[in-house]
Amino acid sequence: MLDTAREIPTPEGIELSLRLAGPVARALAWMIDLVVRLTAFGILSIPVSLLGGIGAGISFILWFGLEWFYPTLFEVYGSGATPGKRALGLIVLHRDGTPVGLPASLTRNLLRAVDFLPLLYGFGLLSVVLSRDFQRLGDIAGGTLVVYREASTQHGAIPAAPPLPPAMLLSPLEQRTLLDLAARSQTLTSERAQELAALAPRLTGATGDTAALARVLSIANYLIGRRA
Amino acid sequence: MKQQAFEAHYEVRWIEFADWLKRSGEKRNKGSHGGLALEAMDVPARYRELCQHLALARDRQYSADLIERLSNLALAGHQALYGAHTRGLERVWQFLRTGFPRAVRREVRFVALAALLFFGPLLTLTFAVPRHPEFAYVVVPARMLDSVQEMYGEATKALGRKREADTDVAMFGFYIFNNVRIGFQTFAGGLAFGLGAIFYLLYNGVFIGAITGHIIHSGLAVNFFSFTSGHSAFELGAICLSGAAGLKLGFALLAPGRLRRAAALRAAAAQAVPLVVGLAGMLLIAAGIEAFWSPRTFLPPVAKYAVGAMLWLLLLLYFAFAGRERAN
Repeated sequence: MLDTAREIPTPEGIELSLRLAGPVARALAWMIDLVVRLTAFGILSIPVSLLGGIGAGISFILWFGLEWFYPTLFEVYGSGATPGKRALGLIVLHRDGTPVGLPASLTRNLLRAVDFLPLLYGFGLLSVVLSRDFQRLGDIAGGTLVVYREASTQHGAIPAAPPLPPAMLLSPLEQRTLLDLAARSQTLTSERAQELAALAPRLTGATGDTAALARVLSIANYLIGRRA
Repeated sequence: MKQQAFEAHYEVRWIEFADWLKRSGEKRNKGSHGGLALEAMDVPARYRELCQHLALARDRQYSADLIERLSNLALAGHQALYGAHTRGLERVWQFLRTGFPRAVRREVRFVALAALLFFGPLLTLTFAVPRHPEFAYVVVPARMLDSVQEMYGEATKALGRKREADTDVAMFGFYIFNNVRIGFQTFAGGLAFGLGAIFYLLYNGVFIGAITGHIIHSGLAVNFFSFTSGHSAFELGAICLSGAAGLKLGFALLAPGRLRRAAALRAAAAQAVPLVVGLAGMLLIAAGIEAFWSPRTFLPPVAKYAVGAMLWLLLLLYFAFAGRERAN
């Protein structure tokens, strides 16, 4: 399937799914971070500037820290995301899905200097677009992924209806299709849900649109094990 | 087993596991201890059980809703169990005692190559420019040479500063800001097949060499060396290491061996990171020395040369011997 989901096999023999973040979400996160950094520097500079020569030294160190260590600080000692990434629901993970550690975070953030070239993340964007997992050069070297924190939540629970056994044997895949339709029936418009339910006349008994959908829901309830 | 029976049977165990994940996350952040339904000892077994449930749910084509819930729980468990890493001062000390010097010894070939690219032009120009003083003007702008000459002139109160220049702390901040950035850029430049690292090494070698030669020619050698000798070991050493780390990245891309280029780069970067962290630390020390010790003039130049030489010796001994295992 053409998708931005990335499957990670684990030692337990299952596959975990991550949703990769694309260039637009990441650029927006970067812009928010830029504003946060500039604001932080602006606010901290005011008391510091009253200190004269010492203040000049401190503001150099401040700017240095904000430039190079701001992302690493949040990624490793925060919860895997800078404020900008957090605002967009993104998080940085190792390729195996574990939270990013110090070495990988340092690598990806020090190599930001190359990604930023020739101007405004030119190489970074090229790399994100060309690589399979939306990785900029720093991500490739550090072995990291930027993904959405929350998995998609487009599935609802299957609405309760009087359970009814299907009139024929259903293969697992057919059962699954039916369950998916039942779960999505809440989020679809009722016309569309009825239209989809009417696509299986032999299963539902071809008794008109509203009846077909009701029948689908009943069979779905039976399949997940609800009993009258 | 039907989905609903499956859910009813295991619901409690999933809730317990989710509760443990949530509470252990809080504990990590706040250090609070609460009565958890699960002991940490039981968690790996519970996690494997959850993975099994997820596999079953997928195989039996249970609803997407349930699969997603189990999948999210498994991902969080995966991150909690496999992502645990130690933090804190112990790690810093271990790094200084063994990690950093071992990394430098492991990459000694790249360090040697970087040293050649950096110290080669530096020393050549240091000796050549006093004999051919006009050459300094070829590589360094005349205004800069004048300003350097002013910094080390007889009339300055503190060495290495222009007359109107700022206090020690301001210079400390500036040295950190500027020098560590150069170190990081040299490392990152290595990603361009090593070319960026080579450029920065040669460029800095030529630049520093030409200025040193020019100062010697101007007869300000004593002032200059009594300023620079103190921090030279840490600063020049760190530039060398940044070049070595960059060259390692570039080499991994040029000759990935039996790995794919991306995998070779990943492995090289993981091995180069200790060098970069260490050299950043060295540049912080160098900035401290350069700002607070080097400009002082209360000691005779010979004493400052001696301190500088001693730091070189200590640094080399550290890289050569620190963190070696005793051979049994």
